[in-house]
Amino acid sequence: MVANRSFNIGRLFIYACLAAFALFYLAPLYVMLTTSFKDIEEIRSGNLLALPQDPTLYAWIKAWSSACTGSECQGLAPFFMNSVKIVVPAVIISTVIGALNGYVLSKWRFRGSDLMFGMLLFGCFIPFQVILLPMARLLAELGLANTVTGLVLVHVIYGVAFTTLFFRNFYVSVPTELVKAAQLDGASFFQIFRHIFLPVSLPIFTVTIIWQFTQIWNDFLFGVVYSGPGTQPITVALNNLVNTSMGGKEYNVDMAAAVIAALPTLLVYIFAGKYFVRGLTAGAVKG
Amino acid sequence: MGSLLIDNVTKSFGETNILKGINIDIQDGEFLILVGPSGCGKSTLMNIIAGLEDATSGTLELAGKDVTLASPKDRDIAMVFQSYALYPTMNVARNISFGLEMRKVPKEERDRIVDEVAKLLQIDHLLDRKPSQLSGGQRQRVAMGRALARSPRVFLFDEPLSNLDAKLRVEMRTEIKKLHKRLGTTIVYVTHDQIEAMTLADRIAVMKDGIVQQLGTPDEIYNNPANMFVAGFMGSPPMNFIEVEVEDGQAIVESAGETHPLKLPCAEAIAAKGLNRVVLGIRPEMITEPKPAPEDQDWLHSMSLDFDVVEPMGADTMAIGQWNGVDIHSRLSPKAGMTAGKGTEIQVNTAKAVAFDIQTGERIC
Repeated sequence: MVANRSFNIGRLFIYACLAAFALFYLAPLYVMLTTSFKDIEEIRSGNLLALPQDPTLYAWIKAWSSACTGSECQGLAPFFMNSVKIVVPAVIISTVIGALNGYVLSKWRFRGSDLMFGMLLFGCFIPFQVILLPMARLLAELGLANTVTGLVLVHVIYGVAFTTLFFRNFYVSVPTELVKAAQLDGASFFQIFRHIFLPVSLPIFTVTIIWQFTQIWNDFLFGVVYSGPGTQPITVALNNLVNTSMGGKEYNVDMAAAVIAALPTLLVYIFAGKYFVRGLTAGAVKG
Repeated sequence: MGSLLIDNVTKSFGETNILKGINIDIQDGEFLILVGPSGCGKSTLMNIIAGLEDATSGTLELAGKDVTLASPKDRDIAMVFQSYALYPTMNVARNISFGLEMRKVPKEERDRIVDEVAKLLQIDHLLDRKPSQLSGGQRQRVAMGRALARSPRVFLFDEPLSNLDAKLRVEMRTEIKKLHKRLGTTIVYVTHDQIEAMTLADRIAVMKDGIVQQLGTPDEIYNNPANMFVAGFMGSPPMNFIEVEVEDGQAIVESAGETHPLKLPCAEAIAAKGLNRVVLGIRPEMITEPKPAPEDQDWLHSMSLDFDVVEPMGADTMAIGQWNGVDIHSRLSPKAGMTAGKGTEIQVNTAKAVAFDIQTGERIC
């Protein structure tokens, strides 16, 4: 009985802690959402934590289509589209290259392939700031400065280190004898990849795509450095929107804009989060 | 059709020599078994035959054509792997037909072959299943089906039965032998199980340290081993090795406190070499309870032996005693009703006893 009671108290304590932390982390989201539905009068006079008395979509509409980001006042919509134009190709290209790299580095070893993998791994640890200037120079030489293509290139190069690591570590757990059997069956390099490796790769593709999507969507530094006036991603636009003040600060618009900017990654985690965790642990369980 | 000539093939990884000049001439339709302990190079040799690894030097001829540098798919060789290596996302039918698909065999033809092979191996009710839904024995059959489907010139089996339980292993062993009888295709088969080697092979190549120690029929390997390694590797329990003095062509053994001279079939050869100490090799089945052996009358010796351990195995009883302070195994009939104890009367038949050089381990006679 005694043991049972202390067990219950322990449980209670754990759940209390979890609830407290959850509240603590969710509080900002709550404030952002409630504030975004209030009008500016209510924000000035009311309580920060109160629910909106008279919910309005004014701030959301303004943030999306007419808020000023610097000298232009078109809202976030065009920048949202810029981000999509950068993220989609960058994620696809870096994931495909990573999958092929991982396939080669795990199953088609060659002299120096381990060294090559080590060097690619090193790429994961290079801070963004270090490559800012050389990359700016390279983009200028290529004529890609301030373009969406340039930003895609930067994100692909930076992402390949991570995607290669993911795929290589996943494919290492696929038995090499499958490759040998397929070779004897007459399958070529790409046929083996397509028929044997691609069908088992769903978990690692999920992990890699989610990872790359969040990384690139949330990127600010590359976005602010390598974009021009018409090619800024949403993170940069959000910054400009918040820093542009005409008259009083419109907190409700700022909050709505921040939620819009964060929404895609939020949705990805809500809908694909469990696959992300499953994919990360898939290799570990299968061994 | 499917003859295979391995001519002086070597393989090195950096400074390490895995294969040191392998020469094996495999006849069309022959069942050759490569046997040896782990690390002897037998799997490497297999991979070289398959084309999955390149030989460092030497040549490989398949059906009279040099294929040393040919890629695996151009060799017309199929392989059954130890882990089966079934494609996990494909069902059984597709696993079997994948090789045909890659070789652009038309669909109807593929279906016909899959059907035929599945019937032959009795897996026709499993065609829609994934490998993960099969038992070990069924996977084994599918792996063989995949190899059969292409009707290659040569089959390679890389320890195909080592992942099966004992009963299934014996069953599949018989199946493989039947299959070979029926198809008559050349088979090269790697194993470290000497019973598999003895039961299946037309010829056995015993390997150690990257060298073929002996190449011969199971009978030759068993009864005329080239050296102590081969003699000790084949047979279970292995051949007894006892260091003995040789006097007047007779080996002197001490058993249960008495010394006995044992007549050797090769006294002249030992004398010719001027040796007075050799390693006597004698199989456990040559040390038995007293029983008539008319054809070996001259080679029979009676003595008493102290049995430390007696292991009844059903068909036989293994009993362990000591000669010259070394454990020796004997194979008795259970009818003799032997028990552990001192001074048991036994019979030793030296008609097939062999002698090895103590220094080199090479067979003297």
